[in-house]
Amino acid sequence: MPPAKALLTKTRFQLRGTRRVLLEQSRFKVLFITVFALLFEGLLCLVFHDAFRFLNSFGGAGLMMIGRLFALFFLGLGMMLTVSGIVTSYSSLFGSDEIPFLLVRPFSMSTITVYKFIQAAGFASWAFFFVVLPFISAYAWHQRLSPLFVLWTLLFSIPFLFLFAGFGTLAILLAVRWLPRSPRIRNTLLGIGGLLLAAGLFLADPPTAALSDTQFNVTSLIPGLRLAAHPLSPSFWIAEGITSLTHGDTSRGLLFFAALLSSALLTGLVIERVGARTFYDAWQRSSAGSARAHRRPVLLPVLRHLRGLLPSDIAAIITKDIRTFFRDPVQWSQAVVFFGLLALYFFNLRRFNYNLLPDQWRSAIVFLNVFAVSAVLSSLGSRFVYPQLSLEGHSFWLLVLSPATIPRIMAAKFLLAFAATATVSVTLIAVSVNMLGTGPAINAAAIAVIAAVSLSVCGLSTGLGAVFIDLEQRNPAAIVSSFGGTLNIVLCLGYMLAVILPFGVLFHLREIGILDTHTFRNGLAAASAWLLLLTLAATLLPLLFGLRSLYRRLPVKPNKATCPRNNN
Amino acid sequence: MIEIQNLCKTYGALRALDNLSLTIRPGELFCFLGPNGAGKTTTIKILTGLVRATSGRALVNGTDIQHDPIAIKRQIGYIPDTPYLYERLTVTEFFRFYGELFDIPEPRIAEELERNFTRFGLLEHRGALVKELSHGLRQRLIYATTFLHNPRIMLIDEPFVGLDPYTIRLIKDLLRTHTREGGTILLTTHILAIAEDIADRVGIIHRGRLVALGTPEELHRKHGGDSLEDLFLKLTRPDGA
Repeated sequence: MPPAKALLTKTRFQLRGTRRVLLEQSRFKVLFITVFALLFEGLLCLVFHDAFRFLNSFGGAGLMMIGRLFALFFLGLGMMLTVSGIVTSYSSLFGSDEIPFLLVRPFSMSTITVYKFIQAAGFASWAFFFVVLPFISAYAWHQRLSPLFVLWTLLFSIPFLFLFAGFGTLAILLAVRWLPRSPRIRNTLLGIGGLLLAAGLFLADPPTAALSDTQFNVTSLIPGLRLAAHPLSPSFWIAEGITSLTHGDTSRGLLFFAALLSSALLTGLVIERVGARTFYDAWQRSSAGSARAHRRPVLLPVLRHLRGLLPSDIAAIITKDIRTFFRDPVQWSQAVVFFGLLALYFFNLRRFNYNLLPDQWRSAIVFLNVFAVSAVLSSLGSRFVYPQLSLEGHSFWLLVLSPATIPRIMAAKFLLAFAATATVSVTLIAVSVNMLGTGPAINAAAIAVIAAVSLSVCGLSTGLGAVFIDLEQRNPAAIVSSFGGTLNIVLCLGYMLAVILPFGVLFHLREIGILDTHTFRNGLAAASAWLLLLTLAATLLPLLFGLRSLYRRLPVKPNKATCPRNNN
Repeated sequence: MIEIQNLCKTYGALRALDNLSLTIRPGELFCFLGPNGAGKTTTIKILTGLVRATSGRALVNGTDIQHDPIAIKRQIGYIPDTPYLYERLTVTEFFRFYGELFDIPEPRIAEELERNFTRFGLLEHRGALVKELSHGLRQRLIYATTFLHNPRIMLIDEPFVGLDPYTIRLIKDLLRTHTREGGTILLTTHILAIAEDIADRVGIIHRGRLVALGTPEELHRKHGGDSLEDLFLKLTRPDGA
C-alpha cells in the first residue's frame, strides 16, 4: 500500500525536521523547558506520594481507596483522552490544511481517517504520559513495587490510549456526518444526548448499593469508583493487568492486556470502516458549512450595545475578537469542555454529600476547587489570551495604522479576556461554595482570590503576549509552546500557588483549631494585602512591559496617546 | 480530456456554478477567466473531488471522480493558488515523499530529482526546510513535484501570482511542453496578457455561467475587435456599473 508507506516516510522525515528545528532553538530555552518539565514531574510525584500516605493514614477505608484509585485514575484519564480525541480529531480531520492535499492524492478515505486518528492519539499522548508517569511512579514507590511496574504500565497504556482516543475520533466523525445542521435541532439532540449520558453514568454508578459501611462511604466519597472497578470497564482491565504482572501472575496479566489490545484494534478497525463510509461526506458537509453565503452575526443584539458603552475602536476590536472566537469551534469547544466539566462537578457536590463533611474538609475542598478553576484559567489564558496579539498576524498593520493607539488595542484585548474569564470563574466558585454550604468569610475569600487570579492571568497573558509577539506565526500551538508561552504558564501557575496557599492554609489551621480568632484575623489581613500587592504587580507590570516592547518592535510608530491627524 | 456537463453547485442560496458545460481536449491549454467569485476555483475543486457538485457531471478521461477517485487522482496534477506543503520536511524529503505517494521507483525519483531541481533552480536549496523557502521557491517546488508522476491532466489555480519573470517563463515553458506531449491543462488566471499568450482556448465565466468561449483570435473577431481585456470587462461588468 504505497500511499500508507509514503505517509510513514513523511512522518519520519517530519520528526527529523522537528528535531532540526529544536536544535536551532536557544539552548537556554530548551534547558529551561527540560528542567521545568523534570521539576514539575518530580513535584507531581511527591504530591501523589503524599496523597497515598495521607489515604494510608485512614486505615481500612484509605487502603480500600488506594487499591481502587488506580482503576479510577485510568477511568478519569480515559475520559480526558476521549474529550481530547474529539477536539484533536475535529481539528485534524476537518480543520487541517493537510486534508485537501491528501484528498487530491491517491489515498483512500479509510487511509486518511486512520492516519489522522493516529495523529490525534499522538497529540493526546504527551499530556497523557506526562500525568501517568508521576502517578504510577508515586504508586510504585508507596506500594514498594518493583520498577517493572512502571514498564508494564507504559506497555498497557498504549492500547488504552488508542482505545479511548478512538472513541473521540468515532464520536466526531459520526457527529459531523450525521448531526443536523439546524442549530435548534442540533442543540436539542445534544442536550438529550447529554442527559442520557448523565443518566447512564448515574445508573452505572449508583450512590447506594448492597455494600458494607466502609465500601459505601468510599464509593459515596469518590464518584465513579464503582464504574471504574466494573469488570467490563477498560480501566479495570488496565489496573488489574498491571498489578497482576507486577505480582508475577503472568497469565492473568496477559489476559487483561489481550482484552485491551483486542479492544483497541477493534476500535481501529471500526474507525477504518466508518472513515471509509463517512469521512468524505462528513468533510463535504463541514466544508459546505464554512462556505455559507449568509452567516448570522454572532451575538449581534448584545454586541451592538457595546458601541454605546465603550469607545468605538475598543468596541470594534472586542466585537471582532468575540466573533472570531465563536466562529472557531476548536477554540470555544476547549473552553466549554474544561469549564463544563468543572461546572458538572460543582453542581454535583451535594450528590456526593460533600456538604455534610466536617468544616476542615469543606474548607480544604473550597480552596482545592479554587485551585482547579485557577489551573484551568492559567491553561486557557496561555492557550487563548497569550497568542491573541500574535494571531493578528499580517493583519496587525490594520490595527496599528488605525486611529486606535497601542494602549487601547491592548486594553481591548485585556478587558475582553478579563470580563469573560472573571464571569465564568467567579460564577463557578460561587456555585461551589453554595453547594458546600461554607461560611461567609471563606466564601468571600474564595471569590476574591478567583477574581484576582482572573485579573492576573489576563494581565500576564496579554502583557507577555505583547512582549513575545510573533506576527509571522499562524499556528496557535506553536505560539503557545514557544519560550514566551512557556514562561507565561509558569508565571501564571506560580502566581496562582502564591495567592491560594496562604488563604487555604489560614482557613484550614483555623478549622482544626490551631489558630485563635485574633491570629487568624491578622493572618487574613496579611494574606489580603499580599493578594492585592501581588495581583497589582502580576497585572500591571506585564502590561507595561508589553506596551514598551510593542513600541520598540513595531516598524511603524503610531502616536502614543492621541489619534494621528492628516495635516494636508 | 475534461468533460463538464450541466454542472451546478449551490452553497445555500448562493449559486456558484449555473449549468456549466465545457469540453477540454487532449493537448489543449485552456484558460479560465472570470472575476473573483465567478466559479473558476469551484469548477477545479469539483474536478479534483474536493467539492461535490450539486448536479451535472465532471469527467476526467471519461470517468467521474466520484466513481473511481483513486484512479482519477493518479491521472491528475492539482496546484492550488496557495499550495499546502509540509513545513518541516526538507525540499528533497518533500520530493521523495511525493514520489513514494505515487509509487514511483526509487531510481526514477532520484533521476527526476536531479533533473527537476536543476531545471527549477532548487539544487542549492535541496537541504533547506520548506518553511525556510520564499513564496517563489515554494511555487517552484510544487511544480517540480506535481509533474513527477506525469499527470495527463493538470488543474492549476492562479499559477503566476507573486512570481518573478524568470519563474513565470519557466512555468509557461513547462505548460507548453506538457500540452505538446498530449497533456491537458485547465488553468485560471487574472493576468489577461498571459492568457492571450499561452492559451489555446479561453473561457470567460461570470456568476457561474460561461459567457464567452473560443481561441483568443476567435473572441477578438467575434466581438468586433475588442481586446481580451475590453471583452472581459464588458462581459463581467457588475450590476449597476
